[in-house]
Amino acid sequence: MTALTALKGQARLALPPGVSRHAGLLTVLLAIGTVTALKSDAFLTGSNLLNVSQQIAVVAVLAAGLTLLMTAGGIDFSLGAIAALAHGVVAQLIVAGFNEWTAVGLALALGAAIGLVNGLVVTLLKVVPFVATLATSTILGGAALLVIDGKSISIGEHLVSLGFGEVAGAVPALVVIAMVVCVAAGLVLRWTAFGRNAFAIGGNENAARLAGIPVVRTKLLLYTLGGLLAALGGVMLVARLGAASPGTGGLHLELTVVAAVVIGGTALHGGSGTLVGTVLGVVLLGVVANSLNLLQINAHYQDVALGTVLLIAAITNHLRGGSH
Amino acid sequence: MDLDLEERQVAPVLELREVRKAFGGAQALAGVDFTLLPGEVHAVVGMNGAGKSTLVEMICGSFAPDSGDILIDGERQASLTPRRAHAAGVSIVHQKRTLVDGLTVAENLLLGRLPTRAGRVLWKRVRQEAARALDGLGIDIAPDAVAGALGPAEQTLVEIAREVDLGGRVLVLDEPTASLGGRDAQRIHRLVRTLRDRGTAIVYISHHLDEVLDLADRITVMRDGRVATVVRSAELDLPALIRAMVGDRLVHERSGTSRSPGKPVLELAGLSGGRLHAFDLTVRAGEVVAVLGPAGDGQCELFRLLTGLRRAESGRVTVNDAEVAPGNVGASLAAGLRCITGDRLSYGLVPALSVNENLDLVRRGRRRPWLVRWRDIHAQGRQARQRYGVTTLQVDPPVSTLSGGNQQKVLLSAWLDGDPVACLLEEPTNGVDVAAKADIHRIVDDLADRGAAVLLSSSDVDEVVRLADRVVVVRSGRIVADLPMDRVTRDDLVTLTAGGEQT
Repeated sequence: MTALTALKGQARLALPPGVSRHAGLLTVLLAIGTVTALKSDAFLTGSNLLNVSQQIAVVAVLAAGLTLLMTAGGIDFSLGAIAALAHGVVAQLIVAGFNEWTAVGLALALGAAIGLVNGLVVTLLKVVPFVATLATSTILGGAALLVIDGKSISIGEHLVSLGFGEVAGAVPALVVIAMVVCVAAGLVLRWTAFGRNAFAIGGNENAARLAGIPVVRTKLLLYTLGGLLAALGGVMLVARLGAASPGTGGLHLELTVVAAVVIGGTALHGGSGTLVGTVLGVVLLGVVANSLNLLQINAHYQDVALGTVLLIAAITNHLRGGSH
Repeated sequence: MDLDLEERQVAPVLELREVRKAFGGAQALAGVDFTLLPGEVHAVVGMNGAGKSTLVEMICGSFAPDSGDILIDGERQASLTPRRAHAAGVSIVHQKRTLVDGLTVAENLLLGRLPTRAGRVLWKRVRQEAARALDGLGIDIAPDAVAGALGPAEQTLVEIAREVDLGGRVLVLDEPTASLGGRDAQRIHRLVRTLRDRGTAIVYISHHLDEVLDLADRITVMRDGRVATVVRSAELDLPALIRAMVGDRLVHERSGTSRSPGKPVLELAGLSGGRLHAFDLTVRAGEVVAVLGPAGDGQCELFRLLTGLRRAESGRVTVNDAEVAPGNVGASLAAGLRCITGDRLSYGLVPALSVNENLDLVRRGRRRPWLVRWRDIHAQGRQARQRYGVTTLQVDPPVSTLSGGNQQKVLLSAWLDGDPVACLLEEPTNGVDVAAKADIHRIVDDLADRGAAVLLSSSDVDEVVRLADRVVVVRSGRIVADLPMDRVTRDDLVTLTAGGEQT
């Protein structure tokens, strides 16, 4: 810890604020990477890194949406369930004979619509977001199983170009999508009035409302965007796996996404957050899972590791917040 | 007798010797001596940043001094912590009230030490002990009342009673009357005098200098981290006290020129809501009209009603003869009405965001652009800061790191952007030092001179006298007087708000 804080202090002098803010996270990431690379030859191979990047692409897409939402003081626990539902819906539509891209479009629209409903419940009916989205999460989790009737549904060769395609001959299409989403979300947060309004609402909702900032509209848009991106994650899942099956997405994906965003330094009560942090959080969780695999540590330790990393991140965030 | 007196004089209950404290490079306390005798009310006054809060936090053990000694009952305290200070009988009652809202007064008084037998709470004894503690101090509050339902003054009274009941012999009161009106403040003053007569030593922090002169036995004036002077309060008057606080800086009095108001701009007709009943008022262009009342009275409803946060039960608001849709924040802003809160951190600023972004907040809310042009925001921020005299050490720090006075100027600058037609200023100098107060008064003068209709909602008589052209006094939500400023004196206003009739 002391070494870590010392390093942070040094970094603050040299690095631009966007990077120095996450110096601690970067250090942990490098440390875990170094240890894994020393113990396993497989870690730094191109195929392994590609594999990791594809695994985390879905998490990154969901986390980007959640970062925007949490910056505005919101939270959505139904993202994983929306992804699960969307991936089932795409599979069933394709099986039912729809064009694959029509199916994708419909699934995205469904995700956005669910996000909008979440937003309406939170803004107009003024239900606490935690409870509202926990309820929709449960409903959608059930609906996702109903859609695929609890069975695995193959989509055959459909969506191969998305799941296994490559851009410029090397970068997987899924990773490109994730990068585009994250960069776009980062730019939105910094350079658009919509993004800055999210900060203002998360930082002080009363002041934002009185200043004439469209609080309700911004929140509705944020929840809708969150739902849309979650559905996109679901589409990526089914494209990658070639089938919709029970247990994909859902609560475990949701927790990973929330963990990644919190590890990235976004405040749970809103008002601060960065996409750089979120991406680092996503990468960190992906690398930890991968290194546990490579080092042949019992898979049950993965959840233990996830929880531990989350706890440490939350504590350091708290300490950092307290030092101001 | 003589010996007794002498003994009292040489036995201070609390003493600070040559205490120094720096934060980063900034010297917050540069060698401060402070002596507190039993049975005295010792006021500490000074402008924001003079070192009052650092001094107080040090007395209570929250900060350790870099050098110098703290003595309690003549004993040197090597490493004072809040817990040790408390055990030694040094308690603080903060400006921010800390009662548990959902519990009764009695439970709050005995929080953490409820009398029990075999793990069962003895409720009868709880009530008895609480009633005894309250009666002993002459506080007229029912022990069974729920703390959250009490008024702010009563909550403070209960907090003080709790600390005294815990054995506090040195009581630090940090702005106990900051948001209270005359009558409520007097209840606090009565309790402070009772405690003094019982031998409790009281450190009294306040921005209300009248109150300080009236209540304190001695006054320590702090300036720039040092003790400027320690005097018996009988030995100086208000101008002398202000001079001691401000040093060589000038104190601005009301400008002699009178304004000539134009046509009616802001009209409230039969406005009712909350504690406000059938309120009629007209503010003309270039005129400052003050609504003065005891704190917490009808004038506090104006902010919520005029911003549209709350829908009026009846009545209407018009700006330039156009009715403003009730209960609609957007409509209120669109009508050219700017309401500036007296509670800047809750309703005005986004603390975590930078000064420049806060300065841009209202403009962004009005113009609804798609993109944020940081270069423009910073350029306009620099201009606004210069114009309103906002000083910061860093280039563009989060607004939460600024002093109260600077925060208030940022608030005013942000909300007064673009020549508003009519505005409501709620307690515009709440928790602000004397120099910033003078700056803010000039800003308000300037606003009226440029032709805005200014409605001032205040519980501070001096401020009303300084700023207003006309004053409307409210009591229990009803207008009791509506007078041009040149026909009332300060004393009349004090009498009116305190409940007497105008003489």
